[in-house]
Amino acid sequence: MKARIAFGFIIMMFVLSLPVIAGGKGELQKYFNDAANKVKATENASEKRTILNESLKDMSKVLNVVQSSPLISKDDGIAIGRIKATLQENQDELTGSNGYQRVSDNQLNNYSNYIVQNMEQAETITISLVALLLIIILVVLLV
Amino acid sequence: MPNLASRLVKDCLCSMLVVSICCGALLILLASCSANIPLQRKAQQTEESVLEVKYSIVCVIHGDGDYLYHDTSGNEYKADEEALAGAIKVAQQNPNAEVFIFHQKPKRHFLLLFPLQDGEFSYYRNGQLITNELYWRDSEQSHFEHEVELYHHFRVDSQREIVSMFLYYGHEIPEYGGAGYDASYPNRKFTIKDLTIGLEDFTRDSARFDLIILSTCFGGTPYTIGALGPFAKTIIASPENLHLSYFDLSSLARLELRMRDGDVPTFAKRFAHQAFDRLTTDIQTAVSVVVYDVDRVQEFLRSVHTIYTNKLTTLKGETPTFLVTIEHCDCAELPAYMLPTMQEGVDIFYRPAHFGRSKQKQNHSGWECWRDIIP
Repeated sequence: MKARIAFGFIIMMFVLSLPVIAGGKGELQKYFNDAANKVKATENASEKRTILNESLKDMSKVLNVVQSSPLISKDDGIAIGRIKATLQENQDELTGSNGYQRVSDNQLNNYSNYIVQNMEQAETITISLVALLLIIILVVLLV
Repeated sequence: MPNLASRLVKDCLCSMLVVSICCGALLILLASCSANIPLQRKAQQTEESVLEVKYSIVCVIHGDGDYLYHDTSGNEYKADEEALAGAIKVAQQNPNAEVFIFHQKPKRHFLLLFPLQDGEFSYYRNGQLITNELYWRDSEQSHFEHEVELYHHFRVDSQREIVSMFLYYGHEIPEYGGAGYDASYPNRKFTIKDLTIGLEDFTRDSARFDLIILSTCFGGTPYTIGALGPFAKTIIASPENLHLSYFDLSSLARLELRMRDGDVPTFAKRFAHQAFDRLTTDIQTAVSVVVYDVDRVQEFLRSVHTIYTNKLTTLKGETPTFLVTIEHCDCAELPAYMLPTMQEGVDIFYRPAHFGRSKQKQNHSGWECWRDIIP
């Protein structure tokens, strides 16, 4: 009897203390921080460039899918559009297209920091929880 | 079988009873921690310690948002926690100061059901912690109602001249709209106007603050500086993005040595310089720190008041879709703001971003405006 009460108590406590999803806004920053860590861990400039290029491309792909989802509000779509534009500019600068001067090989570590810091200052705060959850899920599934 | 079923029901009811008793006890406990706690600590202060206070610092740290950032080694930090640690250090290292620290936290619940207080207040005097307690933040419009109450309860009523400072660490404070500033209260609004209402109450029995440090993105606009002007003699703010590592607080330690002459404007320039140096060491994006001499910038602010206010009025009426077509820019890029008085009363520390479209921009006027994006 006592054991069963204790068991019931534990189960109820467990259910009641399930963690609330805490926004997850840091996930975008973490994603680019991981990419920056990988960039810094490799010596080869061409590998660094590939890591950055792929991470930017993959995140843009995710944002495209999220933006076209029917679950996304118009406001979220706008905010996502702005982040996408920033990522496109980052990619252009990395490759030296659309009027940008190509980031030199010896600046790639600093450039990876720039991308992280730029994302930390971006308007992720204006994106709703639904949009952020979709982004996080798709990052896990597609990237 | 029915026996087993009735036993299971009985056990379940027993469990629920235990949980209910626990919850009841917790409710009583939580209710006892409500915002209306008696504030009795003031009496513990001796007259002697009160006489020694020469500096008064109010520090509001907003922690209800996306405050995660990484250093160049990839380590994660929470900007509000870092700012809090910095403020506590400042409080402990100032034997001649009183320091009020308000940490505004996200909405949290204990066991998903019981709301926990979302503000934490610490008061230091003469380097010693006098009180540390939780409080409820404003539930609707954010006007610092409870922060002001705590401030007036504890502040030293000194006849001596006290150098007073107000520090705000958080995200960009919107000039209009303001919904969603608190991540955990999406409907609560917070704008520059709300901050000024709070400042009005903070300064109700005293002169304006000697120094306001606005450690947020896009604080150096004609509207924001104009709105905070009546509450400060000198303001430090960043007209552009300010990375979440924020303004370095360490120059506020040992004020009796750093501000021996009581010259706040000179101290403000030193503070801004150190904050700038610290940020430029690691940050690849643009860094801008500006010191505004409030009295000297008034002529410029008067000249651009109408044009800036008109722009804000237009923005207020627009839908979010429209906001894609506008962006922040240096006021110097807009002819209407290019006035001879533009540089009057501003000391600018600026370094362009190392990458991006604006890396060639070598100077900043110290004033940030809005412009339409040309497609």
